Amino acid sequence: MSKSSRRLLGLLVFGALAAAWLYAASRLWRTSVPDDLKLPKVDVGAIVGLSELHRAQHFSFVLDLFGLAGLLLPLIVLAFYAKWGHRFIGESAAGPIGTGMLLAMLGIAILWIAMLPSQLGALWWLRRYGIEKTGYVEMVVGTWSALGFEFLGICLTILIVMGFARLLGNNWWLAGAPIFVGIAILVTFVQPYAFNQPLEGHAALLQAEQRLAQREGVKAVPLRQINVSATTTAPNAMAMGLGPSRRIGLFDTILDGRFSEPELEVVVAHELAHHKHNDLWKGIGWYALFAFPIAFVIAQVTKRRGGMMVPLAVPLFLFVYVALPTLTLPIDNAFSRRLEAEADWTALQATNNPQAAKALFVSFVRTTNENPNPPFWDPILFGSHPTEAQRIGMVEAWQAQNGG
Amino acid sequence: MNEHPITLHVMDDLRRSRLTVFFRYLLYIPHGIWLELWGIAVILVAVLNWLVALVIGRPAAPFQRFNAAYLRYWTTVYAFLMLVANPFPGFTGEPGSYPVELVVPTVPEKQNRLKTFFRMFLALPTVVVLYVVLVPAMLICYPLLSFSWWASLITGRMPRGFRDLGANAIRYGAQVAGYALLVTGTYPCSSPYVGMALGVPVIDAAPAVAETPPAAAEKPTAPEAPEAPSEA
Repeated sequence: MSKSSRRLLGLLVFGALAAAWLYAASRLWRTSVPDDLKLPKVDVGAIVGLSELHRAQHFSFVLDLFGLAGLLLPLIVLAFYAKWGHRFIGESAAGPIGTGMLLAMLGIAILWIAMLPSQLGALWWLRRYGIEKTGYVEMVVGTWSALGFEFLGICLTILIVMGFARLLGNNWWLAGAPIFVGIAILVTFVQPYAFNQPLEGHAALLQAEQRLAQREGVKAVPLRQINVSATTTAPNAMAMGLGPSRRIGLFDTILDGRFSEPELEVVVAHELAHHKHNDLWKGIGWYALFAFPIAFVIAQVTKRRGGMMVPLAVPLFLFVYVALPTLTLPIDNAFSRRLEAEADWTALQATNNPQAAKALFVSFVRTTNENPNPPFWDPILFGSHPTEAQRIGMVEAWQAQNGG
Repeated sequence: MNEHPITLHVMDDLRRSRLTVFFRYLLYIPHGIWLELWGIAVILVAVLNWLVALVIGRPAAPFQRFNAAYLRYWTTVYAFLMLVANPFPGFTGEPGSYPVELVVPTVPEKQNRLKTFFRMFLALPTVVVLYVVLVPAMLICYPLLSFSWWASLITGRMPRGFRDLGANAIRYGAQVAGYALLVTGTYPCSSPYVGMALGVPVIDAAPAVAETPPAAAEKPTAPEAPEAPSEA
């Protein structure tokens, strides 16, 4: 085969892959929220109260600064580590993969040290507003211990990447990316089994779940209580699991009496909607869409340091491994917001109670102090959910459509 | 006499990296998991090896090599964890790869069948002694809240006495495990002078560690002047 034919074939394969990628992304992007739905402009101050709004704005502004530090600091620290991290090779008596593991763990350890001041600052701010209850020493010890799990995760990643790189050279990403997707599926499947406390003392909510599941046309799933009130006051809930492991986890901070029964029904309907629309599978699909190109880019970039066959490339790998997901964060957040908006819409259809939904979103502003109407860049970087103003707007749009 | 078929060679230079000392316990985690997994296989092999040794009068050669590699690996992992050595160890128990190295016989020796049959019971007293040796060593050498951890973190060097105490505990632990696993029929010796070669590289040590003069033990790669374990 001549050189030009090979180039043409390569272009054709690349074009086909790009078309398949775009088609899959567009399928995942689609939701059942009406395309022509126009969200009305909401006067949040009038709904939640001006003083509450100002408090939330002030709180969110400072928290966003800490959030920005949390995004930028790792990039800066790991950029330095990518340049000088290879000096730690001398601290290893292990083979290439073991040395790679050490370099990766040390990179994360240095990052932990660098991030500590901003994490303590964020904790101070959250404590000031009564959102967090964790003590400073407790937080340092807790995050230090949690590093153990991060170390294990990065060691497994290095083992997979360097193991395949030693077998397949710079084509390791072809085998590595599917393994990472498989791990994501496994973790999503297994995660609910970590939360086994059944929901007790909420018989009405359990009954409501059966009713809501029937209305949404989805099988009811077990409700689990997740105890976090010792460390935080922030309310939350989540859909977890795949297939037989599907659950809904409700934080005990949302069950502590600050939210009414109809509001909790909206929460349960929202989480059921995630299961109805197979959002956890969609999330894995989205992850898979990015896992391949990200792994490919990492393989190309680390070639400069000899490829992932040698530990010398690990510090650079670590930088790219963190930087690329940071770059894709805006699109990931946009995707997540679409799924959340769809779950809100389905919950409105199922509960048929827009007043409860609106009350819930107002309560979220009061209990989390999140700015309901943040500056444009905030949702781009940090918004996995629509803003509370958008959620209230959706309720009003639903009311306008359905005459609620 | 300081001869024992299982001998620990310490070529460590006492220098410690503050960064890896600070995170030592966490850096140990992947090794800890691998050690546990390998340990499960070792238990299965030990049972088979015991049966083989009862029948043919010596352990099977592949089992001997497998157990020897495990003991070498175990030694490097604990040397790392207890700050007895500085570098991050490898995962295979490869000989000649670590400044604290266990010399283990890889060729199986003939062993008395009666002693083999009662090996677990014979090993019991040594396990008791092991705890007497290990507990203080661990209190002194384990990362976090121990003397040596703080000393290494602040000065960037491991105090020699602490290092030797830790090394001795590891040496005795390896001898106990080697005896229990039929790697050797020689009983473990709790004396810190038996089976311990401070500052003596493995290549120079064989066959008689005890006769190696301290001056000859000095190698350019080992900045620490060895405190030779003279005759007990």
